Amino acid sequence: MLTVYLDFKSPGAYLAMKPTLALVDRLSLAVAWQPFLTVERDVPKLGKEETVGESHRRVRAESQRRLAIKYAAHQGIELRFPATPGETDLALGALAVIESDPLPYIQASFDAYWQAHADLNDEATIRQLIDQSGATISTELSEVRDLLDAAQAQAEEAGIVGAPAYVISEQIFVGREHLPWIEEIARASD
Amino acid sequence: MHVLQSKAPLIVYIDIKSPYAFVAIRPTLALEAELGMQFDWRPLTLDIPSYLGSAEKKKGKVVSSKGRSQRTWNAIRYSYRDARRYAERQGLVLKGTEKIWDSTLPNIGILWVMQTARDKLADYLEAVYPPFWRRELDIEDISVVETCLQEAGVDASGFAAFASGPGRALHDELQPQFHSSGIYGVPTYVLGDDILFGREHIPYIRWVLTGQKGPAPDIAYEIA
Repeated sequence: MLTVYLDFKSPGAYLAMKPTLALVDRLSLAVAWQPFLTVERDVPKLGKEETVGESHRRVRAESQRRLAIKYAAHQGIELRFPATPGETDLALGALAVIESDPLPYIQASFDAYWQAHADLNDEATIRQLIDQSGATISTELSEVRDLLDAAQAQAEEAGIVGAPAYVISEQIFVGREHLPWIEEIARASD
Repeated sequence: MHVLQSKAPLIVYIDIKSPYAFVAIRPTLALEAELGMQFDWRPLTLDIPSYLGSAEKKKGKVVSSKGRSQRTWNAIRYSYRDARRYAERQGLVLKGTEKIWDSTLPNIGILWVMQTARDKLADYLEAVYPPFWRRELDIEDISVVETCLQEAGVDASGFAAFASGPGRALHDELQPQFHSSGIYGVPTYVLGDDILFGREHIPYIRWVLTGQKGPAPDIAYEIA
């Protein structure tokens, strides 16, 4: 069993979908998709007077975006960051309570965020994504934020620090760059 | 020296005190050997407290910490665990450092080896990195760095003068250029116009340096 933690607003999680699904298909892995709320920050503006720390954070954020766009292009994706990072709490809360195969909902939500810059904290948008993807959900959307809080606390307690995160054979890996090792573990435990 | 310019096909920036750089050394040296190329290895001495806060440990326990949130601590702990397991795969030991070291001297050592004994660079990195991460080296002591040079087969006579003179000047000339050039951490690879942070870009670097045959590879930590 492979557990994958994701957040729809995480560019890394978005770009991890294709290679992760390829691995899952290749090895016929069972996957549990879990929500994990990440902190996505806008690229800080260049200040007239920056401390070394401020400069570091700005350059790092610019670099991370540039590289995400570059590798997205390798996947045939034109990655367009929204003007400011959106909130995804409601969409992630809904993911936590989907009773059917959540994959169509996950893919629809990623596309909605990254292609249409949809508001994934808006109830009408989430209802539309649920309907569009054929997901089954019996919990009221008004309740899912509390469930997300509980799932988040549990994930953090377990040592999850970002998304995409993978848990396999009790090992935690954050980032799709670990897929070779994850595949090695999956093959060994097959 | 301009931080983005070199006659070599690839510039590699590293810092002895970075665990990320530590686990990138052998894969990067292996790539260099595989391609039969010589990369331009250079130091980037990180100013860690400026962006990660600072901490001091004694006997494995944090005795002082400044400017670190719980989230930052969790991320740092994960990063160390992650680097440690990859180090172990390489047969290396990675112990968390007890303080944030000033790595200027062994980093100037990289410049010294590049100028005086290029073919010994791998030996020098091997003489410094693994013992430092086993907590066996005081890298702020110049005699320790000189011993590492000698163990690597590099003539260390003149290193002290270099470290306080032209080597220090060259090291210090690079430092203020990094942020304005888009570089913020190690390992950083400069490949033409690409500035790539992290060893996960090695598959892409190989793809570019071997003629871009087939589709571009995704990021990956390659495993032996």
